[in-house]
Amino acid sequence: MKREIATFKINGWSYEVIITPNMTLSELLRGPLDMTGTKHACEVGQCGSCTVLVDGKPMLSCSTLAIAVRDKEILTIEGLSQGAPLHPLQQAFLDTGAIQCGFCTPGMIMMAKAFLDENPNPTRQEVKEGLGGNLCRCTGYVKIVDAVMAAAETMRKGGK
Amino acid sequence: MKPFEYLEPSTVKEATQLLSDYGEKAQVLAGGVHLVPKMRKGEIEMEYLVNIQRIPGLDYVEPEGKQGLKFGAMCKLRSMEISRTIQNDYPVLYEAIHQITSVQAKYMGTAVGNLCVATPASDVATALFALGAELNIAGAHGERVEPVEKFYLGYHRTSLKRGEIVLGVFLPKLPQGTGTSFLNLVRTHSDIAKISVAVAVTLKDGICREARIAIGAAAPTVFRAAKAELELKDQKLTPQLINQAAGTAAGETRPISDLRSSAEYRKKTAKVLVRRGLEKALERARAQA
Repeated sequence: MKREIATFKINGWSYEVIITPNMTLSELLRGPLDMTGTKHACEVGQCGSCTVLVDGKPMLSCSTLAIAVRDKEILTIEGLSQGAPLHPLQQAFLDTGAIQCGFCTPGMIMMAKAFLDENPNPTRQEVKEGLGGNLCRCTGYVKIVDAVMAAAETMRKGGK
Repeated sequence: MKPFEYLEPSTVKEATQLLSDYGEKAQVLAGGVHLVPKMRKGEIEMEYLVNIQRIPGLDYVEPEGKQGLKFGAMCKLRSMEISRTIQNDYPVLYEAIHQITSVQAKYMGTAVGNLCVATPASDVATALFALGAELNIAGAHGERVEPVEKFYLGYHRTSLKRGEIVLGVFLPKLPQGTGTSFLNLVRTHSDIAKISVAVAVTLKDGICREARIAIGAAAPTVFRAAKAELELKDQKLTPQLINQAAGTAAGETRPISDLRSSAEYRKKTAKVLVRRGLEKALERARAQA
């Protein structure tokens, strides 16, 4: 299989990586790029833990071939806030106790970001539907919805 | 994941040529929601992967003059879900897409890809059967049009020949006085359906001029309950007749037992869903007429 040097734009940085076509985006992130914030959980597109944004759209990085998204804008949990202060979603997840084991959290937050970018003033029901593709086995979701609602409010007031 | 050669055609002609050259050794990558996990699990292997994502002009959903609506091979389910035309004019399709819980799968997945997988449990295909969708198919020797019902040959089998891809889908404009509805039963909302039903009823002067009843996950392919449809044609839709036709439709199912349901349960609930679907479509048709 052909190896090639491909350029990826991730979190505003450009990376040149040697890849093979059978590498998924999540394998690229967690392997050669050592960005382990994006989680591998079900690895078959069912749980949402591997969600990243590609050109602003939420994608399952475990079900996306890396080679297919070269030269697109990729945003991962590592790029959400470049250092302190945290992104309002990250802060709200901490403040409301929306994190227990934390494994679903990066995917939840990236999906919630894509959702709030489209719908900055959602109802609780809309938040639940917006996170319909993300599983959490700890929290029972209530505090996750609380966190997204709180973050939405912060962001409407101009917090970034 | 097994190795393969990755190909990225930039035109439809190039894609059909590659698929024609490599035949069964090649697979088409559209959204990848179905294909990539299957590749990871080793359930689908190929020598050549033809990615059609970068072919321009395939990602659209738009009205086709006054005749209906069309969408392209790379049109995402999410784009269709937020299309005002689909929400207003084809509620059965909106409902079938909206109940899919994974937002990411809707941003990645395409309706055409879903059709090409040819699973009988496709909610989207069930809706498209009720709408009389037509597929525009391109091959190395030109294009052809095929009704969705003829596209499905069997379980995971389509009428696509070597070198062909589906370019897009056309939905005819529904006649005045048509009501539609979609219903399914699921274990949990993130799972595929145990059974799904999509219905379109056209009323004129209080009489049912045409009824389409599509059923998913109850036979090797999605199918239309032709006998039940005939019982309703040119009749006044009374509760008794609707109940009778629902029973006939259930009799036309050929379900299997699997981890989601027993065949017996699917047959029984087919009757209930068809009845409810007809009632809802009828109510909407009356509001229209």
